[in-house]
Amino acid sequence: MSDRKQWFKLDLSGNVYPTLQRRSFSSTFRVSISLNEKIKPDILQKAFEKTLPRFPTFKAAIRKGFFWRYLEPNPNPAPMVERDVKNPCMPMNLRSKHRYLIRMYYYENQISFEVFHSLSDGLGALTFLKTVTAVYLRMQGVAVPNEEGVLDIDEEPKMSEMEDSYMKYADSKVTPKRSQGSAYRVRGTKEPFYTLNIICGSMEARQLKAAAKKHGVTITEYMNAVLIYALVENQKNAKTWKERPVRIAMPVNLRQFFPSNTLRNFITMVYPGVDPRMGDYSFEEILRQVHYYMRYYINDKFLRADITTNAQTFRSPFIRIVPLWFKDITVKQFYKRVQDCQSSAGLTNLGVIKVPKEMEPYVERFDILMGQPFSPRTNCAIVTYKDIATISFASSIIENDIERIFFRKLVQEGIEVTIQSNRD
Amino acid sequence: MAYCVNCGVKLEETLSKCPLCNTPVYPKEMFVADEKAPPYPQERGTVEKVRRTDVAILLAVLFGSTALGCGLLNLFVYRGSLWSLYVIGACAVFLIFSLPAMLYQKLPYIMMTVIDGGALLLYVAMVAVVNDGMRWYWEIAVPVIALGTFLVSVFIYIKQRASRSILFTAMLVVINIAVFCVGLNLSIRYYLDKRLAITWSAVVLVCAAIITVALITVMRSSRLREEVRRRMHI
Repeated sequence: MSDRKQWFKLDLSGNVYPTLQRRSFSSTFRVSISLNEKIKPDILQKAFEKTLPRFPTFKAAIRKGFFWRYLEPNPNPAPMVERDVKNPCMPMNLRSKHRYLIRMYYYENQISFEVFHSLSDGLGALTFLKTVTAVYLRMQGVAVPNEEGVLDIDEEPKMSEMEDSYMKYADSKVTPKRSQGSAYRVRGTKEPFYTLNIICGSMEARQLKAAAKKHGVTITEYMNAVLIYALVENQKNAKTWKERPVRIAMPVNLRQFFPSNTLRNFITMVYPGVDPRMGDYSFEEILRQVHYYMRYYINDKFLRADITTNAQTFRSPFIRIVPLWFKDITVKQFYKRVQDCQSSAGLTNLGVIKVPKEMEPYVERFDILMGQPFSPRTNCAIVTYKDIATISFASSIIENDIERIFFRKLVQEGIEVTIQSNRD
Repeated sequence: MAYCVNCGVKLEETLSKCPLCNTPVYPKEMFVADEKAPPYPQERGTVEKVRRTDVAILLAVLFGSTALGCGLLNLFVYRGSLWSLYVIGACAVFLIFSLPAMLYQKLPYIMMTVIDGGALLLYVAMVAVVNDGMRWYWEIAVPVIALGTFLVSVFIYIKQRASRSILFTAMLVVINIAVFCVGLNLSIRYYLDKRLAITWSAVVLVCAAIITVALITVMRSSRLREEVRRRMHI
């Protein structure tokens, strides 16, 4: 693995995140697993070290070329497993001593894995976390088979796991517009460097499913609608100078539509929302709007066209010959002025997580955290394991109006929510 | 396990108030499990410092060799004037500006500002000596640079210790600009007429006073402050 010739290009999404890097911000996210007993850090460290070589995308360092950044195998020993901190998803130094872009934490009975988004998306990180946990449990005598997303650490990494699937499927003849227009921006008082406020609500997945079914929508559509409802209410209460559309940035896992085993990024964004300038939307109307939006846009044709828009930029010979420093300035400005402005909040749903049957008795729950938002706002991440659905809000602002309206709405809908938070 | 009476959510056992609306749990002894480990750790993590020694060495070599090269050229090839002193001085000033920020990150910002001001004064002194302009150096350059350094230091000091709000920062900037303009005006007048008098800077001073009073009014009234924040999106 120390062969520096085995470099690989950053994928389409992965190219954007390093340009947004600043001393106080990194595009980092976290996936966590809670077991039914306290974590033993020494065993976890060994399991981490054993697992890492199986995942070349995580055992990598980011380097700067003249035109692009690229990843190359990282020969340094695995980073140390650390005791968890109150402020997760801290910025990552791309040029740290060990050059790793991952972190592994433990706290009580929880193992958390943080990843710089250039390396992988939620599914890749989750695969790594499940494999580490399986190795950890095996080291304590539990026989866990290699199934349900647990990879065999003794086999060689597959090329298909490292491929840039975007380029493989970005072949639409037409491409949609990049900008969706500006959306309502939640403004709040920025927390001092570096604080990440988490409010996590857990509930029975059964209740959530029943509430969504009552309205004839899926859980993802339902959650989107509740978040949009919270944002619309917040905009009303804020009495803003000029009303704007409320839109959610929601990553879609493209593996559902295009066959791919990649452990790197393979997601694209869709933007369900409503425009309150057209009139007041009831919750039912928001649900309908989101439902039909999802049905209309989330299919292989639209998604292929969407990723082709981004791929075209990277394929353009003019853009390829532009030096990296100039690309960095342009991409950052584009992200700041267009991409970031077109959504009011972020929401991701990792869906129902499955683990091998033999592992199930040891696992209590999963959690996911979208990490620090680029601009002061709030991001929401949902994950379900067995009958527990957890909804985690991460924000770097003091105000928690969105979270309050969101969870109160769920309670009104008859869902019993248990709240936990790292706020003082 | 307690429920929030406002939000209707169940609260995790270690919470003593609702994180959504800050309603306290009552009675605390009955519902809050103090002995249980909280779901999130209490220790804060710190971000690893970025090491910039390599860039600092590269900069030192780059500017050092530029200064040396120009000095040698001036000494042996283009001997007409002491032009190389400008380049050597500029290289030295740039190094003094950038090296402490890269190598001694623990050095207080005020100290860095004072060092930068000193470097600028020395550079301008060198220009004054070469051009035989010690009068403007003492009567304009020294007071203006010293005042600028002092105002920047005061700004940093107050920003570090007092409020971080955007309105307060705006007020500080306005006051600093006004004081600097007055200083500049006084030194130029003294250089030209040998007397201390305020002319154009009086207009700046009046404008700054109006803005400052308005900002203080906004800051003191929480209702007004909220309204301005909401309307201006700050």
